[in-house]
Amino acid sequence: MRKEARSVWFIFVLTAGLSCGISASEVLKFDIGQPASLVQIEGWDIDVRPDGLGLPVGSGKALSGEDLYEEKCASCHGSFGEGEGRWPKLAGGFGTLSDVRPEKTVGSYWPYVSTLWDYIHRAMPFLQPQSLTDDEVYSLTAYILFLNDLIDEDFVLTHKNLPTIVLPNQPHFVNDPRPDVHNTRCMVDCISADSNLAWDTANLDVTPKVTLKKMSDNNDSKTAMPSAQAVALSTYVQSCAVCHDAGLSGSPILGDKKAWGVRLELGITSLYEHAINGYLGTSGYMPAKGGNSSLSDPEVKAVVDYMVMMAR
Amino acid sequence: MTEAKDLSRRNFLRKASLVSGGALMTGSQLWANENIANTPPNVPSWMRKTGKTVGAAPYGVPSLHESDIVRKTVPWLTASPISSVSFSPLHALKGIITPSSLHFERHHSGVPDVSPDEHRLMIHGLCDNPLIFDMDDLARFPSVTEIRFIECPANGGMEWRGPQMEALQFTHGMLSCSEWTGVRLSTLLAEVGVKKTAKWILAEGADGAAMGRSIPIEKALDDVIVAYAQNGEMIRPEQGYPIRLVNPGWEGNTSVKWLRRIELGDKPWHLREETSKYTDVMPDGSARQFTWVQEANSVITSICPENPLKNKGFHEIEGVAWSGRGKIKHVDVSFDGGISWQPANLKGLVLDKALTRFGFNWNWDGSPKLIQSRAIDETGYVQPTLEQLRAVRGLNSIYHKNSIQTWQLSHTGEVKNAQRS
Repeated sequence: MRKEARSVWFIFVLTAGLSCGISASEVLKFDIGQPASLVQIEGWDIDVRPDGLGLPVGSGKALSGEDLYEEKCASCHGSFGEGEGRWPKLAGGFGTLSDVRPEKTVGSYWPYVSTLWDYIHRAMPFLQPQSLTDDEVYSLTAYILFLNDLIDEDFVLTHKNLPTIVLPNQPHFVNDPRPDVHNTRCMVDCISADSNLAWDTANLDVTPKVTLKKMSDNNDSKTAMPSAQAVALSTYVQSCAVCHDAGLSGSPILGDKKAWGVRLELGITSLYEHAINGYLGTSGYMPAKGGNSSLSDPEVKAVVDYMVMMAR
Repeated sequence: MTEAKDLSRRNFLRKASLVSGGALMTGSQLWANENIANTPPNVPSWMRKTGKTVGAAPYGVPSLHESDIVRKTVPWLTASPISSVSFSPLHALKGIITPSSLHFERHHSGVPDVSPDEHRLMIHGLCDNPLIFDMDDLARFPSVTEIRFIECPANGGMEWRGPQMEALQFTHGMLSCSEWTGVRLSTLLAEVGVKKTAKWILAEGADGAAMGRSIPIEKALDDVIVAYAQNGEMIRPEQGYPIRLVNPGWEGNTSVKWLRRIELGDKPWHLREETSKYTDVMPDGSARQFTWVQEANSVITSICPENPLKNKGFHEIEGVAWSGRGKIKHVDVSFDGGISWQPANLKGLVLDKALTRFGFNWNWDGSPKLIQSRAIDETGYVQPTLEQLRAVRGLNSIYHKNSIQTWQLSHTGEVKNAQRS
């Protein structure tokens, strides 16, 4: 519609431009693109600012976020926001920012509550982004503030009061003062030879030592991975490795014969069933399809087969 | 003949360095030990038969003999490979263009598989005509093509407390440089009609993290590109297919990949990747925010842990220099840990906010050296020492470590990553 309406105008501008010796690139408008409707904008406009602009109407009580947090967040972030493995710590760390090892959490570091709401809403849970309702996001935001002792458990977080909560570290953010370090282009006798005697070298043995297979090896039918297995491996990396590489939430680690042996006694049918529908056992929690509801049942079974194979 | 000889000799050199544990051998020793059937006076086996047909590799792949030149990861660095980083093999690259296959990766929620038919760029907010562009629309606008580096601000971040990584690929490999083609963002912003009240844009990606950054309108209207092509072909999925922002000279993740939305606003958004992350903690516990520019930096690439020296005598010291503030003006090299410096040559193209290659002709006498490079950009900024950076910023700022790199060359030709104690 817009294209048709503006095409005559565009030709006029272009013609006028050419007659004046102006190239097409200097014409300000090209009449390309479609108008974005309010409905289209609303569907995509997910950002939230510290002043509350962008927050949808809604609310959530801190305590009502607890079960949801346990189900959706705790496997990576820890039940108390302490962070599992290398996953982000969400709570605590107050007063550590000038320490040797600062703990940068929502409570100790983040400047704005809006960032927390925005990030949970746009990117969490890690494997199911944009799957939470607005009220669930309010509840989880409130629960994480509660874990940081910033609000009481009965506090009801709403679109109105969220922008009024000031996080303790907000005043300690400053704008970029660089260039803040000033070297000079000295050419001779720039430092004394004495100061140049002692040097440390990298000897920590933390550099990955990757022995790569030559590409030609992959053409060898004996070593080439069957395609079904390659697909299962890809699924594993995408949807399972987050927990099963590190044993989060009590999950059996890939290739741990002992941990898998106990589970294999239940029979493969039970493993399929637990993987597809989810399972809460005494030692751990398995979300349905590993939290990735887009996986089909056959895809889940294939990746279970792969993980069982790795445990034999 | 020359090419065949060079290839076999090069492989032999690699083997020789393994066998000898890096101990130096003279050129004549190397040739005396050589016993390869394809070298003179023998006729190489590949000359006695036909090779693969035309079209055997419709897209083409590097020589099998180069298969160890790939992006690599540091698995312990991040919680999951879905949100992680891979490093470019700078030690093996020439010139200033990074092959698209070797461009470093930083994804916050993996690489989405975006359909170009259904992908859209929406521009809205403080403008007169909010618009949606499909990929064909963007291709119709006048295009620009520019060579620009992209660097993650955490490049070198593992080295603040001491030398840690024993490879150039990991000390500096979150750096790549490509020829980008696309539409100037200012062209698209003119199309929607920016209101006077608009002071910032939000750029947002179509990945699972919906990764977003706030950028001031002055920069958005300056040199930013909405790019659809990289090094002559459509952008790779890992680099934002089908479109990404290229925000020259600034922190890599402001060049938002899989770009789907630009909003115009009167204030910044303070999203997670510009508050919780990509902010720099100072010794007093304060934090710098919106530290956008990648300041001048340089590193020697021809001598590094991956490229030990195998001979005394002539070597061209080569490396790359870059600045987010403009062109590189000078690069100096030192062989004594920074006591004295000599100017290097700038080679080939010297472009705004692009990698610039430098070289220095040098004869190695076999004695231990502390080799460094130092970049000076057109603003007069001189790349600092690590001591100077630490004196102001301490050890915990993670980002923007652009200090002079030292390679310690031993009498055996071995090269180590070194810092002054």
